[in-house]
Amino acid sequence: MKKTTKYALGIGTLIVASLVFVAADHIDAPATMGTTADIADYFAFEPTEGSDNTAFIVDLQSNVLPDLAYGTFDEDVLTEINIDTDGDLIENLVIQAIARDGRMYFFGPVAPSSTGLTSQVAIESPMGDVEISGSTAIVETMANGVSLFAGPRQDPFFFDFFRFNEVVSPSMDDNSGFDNPGIDTFDGANTMSIAVEVPNSLLGETTATNVLGLPVYKTWVTTNRKQ
Amino acid sequence: MKLNNIKYLFFAIILLVTSVGCSDDDDTQMMQDDDVMAMVTCDDGIMNGDETGIDCGGSCEACEVMSMDPDFSGTYSQVDYMGRPGINTVLSSSDVKDMHNQSIPSTMGAILQPGFETQLEAYHDAYAIALGLTADDVDFQPNILGDILNGPDNDGFTENPVNATVLTTVLATDVLEVAPNLPTTYFNPGAGAPNYDGAVGLTGRTLQDDIIDVSLILLFGGGDGTRFNGEGGLPLLVSDGVGLTADNITTTFPYIGAPE
Repeated sequence: MKKTTKYALGIGTLIVASLVFVAADHIDAPATMGTTADIADYFAFEPTEGSDNTAFIVDLQSNVLPDLAYGTFDEDVLTEINIDTDGDLIENLVIQAIARDGRMYFFGPVAPSSTGLTSQVAIESPMGDVEISGSTAIVETMANGVSLFAGPRQDPFFFDFFRFNEVVSPSMDDNSGFDNPGIDTFDGANTMSIAVEVPNSLLGETTATNVLGLPVYKTWVTTNRKQ
Repeated sequence: MKLNNIKYLFFAIILLVTSVGCSDDDDTQMMQDDDVMAMVTCDDGIMNGDETGIDCGGSCEACEVMSMDPDFSGTYSQVDYMGRPGINTVLSSSDVKDMHNQSIPSTMGAILQPGFETQLEAYHDAYAIALGLTADDVDFQPNILGDILNGPDNDGFTENPVNATVLTTVLATDVLEVAPNLPTTYFNPGAGAPNYDGAVGLTGRTLQDDIIDVSLILLFGGGDGTRFNGEGGLPLLVSDGVGLTADNITTTFPYIGAPE
């Protein structure tokens, strides 16, 4: 153990005790907690074995706890999926989504006009748009193989969050860690989902690799509020 | 056509327009069509003459600037960020979470790693104290990734061990890697220690992946993934004891199930 952490045991305990959050990223940091721009979850996967597509799902907002923003896409919030295809951790491509008057508009995949903390909508590279769904999914499939969706969905994320908040602050009286079985705090919680499935040909080859040496897209999602 | 003739024709049209009851301020135009002069007005409901829209533009009143597209103008500034699930949640203290969300991956690693490592050790210290030991007695132990990456013969310490610094350095660059044209698995240790036959992962995140247990195993599982397994008087820290409860994930787009 590092000397600093030994010395800082009291501080460390304070840090642990001060954690207030819901994972995976649900509720999140003080500045975005409970806002319409709060990213609850993010998934990126090969949709079926052997598929030449990649699916991205971004979950915004959550009703897992009362009084959180939930239920309406904010037209001032631009959601951006960033894709690094050469391993330098700078986005080579972005896929953007933003709501207007009951529809979700998608743009990209395209090289962004600027990288980093600010963005503009790539209006010259429209991907398509889809009516924002109610409880029944409305899906748009474009001629180039892109599929689009936006609307409320059940959050599949599972975690015993309430026990977790106790686990990170153990005491002599409560030092047994998690319960087994635990209780899934997120059972039945909903979120506002944006889903886009893209042929890999639109994303192109990647020279980035993971620690196992496999070629990967390095991806992350941001929400961006209109200034 | 000579200029004088046009003048006369223009007056004739004015008269005609007036006689059919158009308002005085209606503009008029002329259009030559197969040598027959046809009358064109700015309120005939069709785009003709030199109009650039229906009854507007050219010699009519300017067309309203109407776009079928919504307005997407403006600059948007980053307010939230997410790569791997749970990382900001578990390893950032609350004051760092905002900083994390306003970071970019090319620089966040150096910014976040020291705090992540401190937090990881602080969790171990907290359990040491809660178990009646001293903070020195319980430390992070290099995890199963070392064996998976280096083979089972390494001792976890001398051959590229995934120690607290290595692990938090990887995690502090918070990106979700997804492999095109490969099956997606967040992480699966396969047959487990010591050989981890069939171990796969780091190819993305599906809706079903148990990312909390994976994270806990890497943070608290030690060299074989079962340290702190709830046995022998130790706390259960390698699983939160819950699995997937959503039963409505579909095999077709958009995959994520209907709302409750």
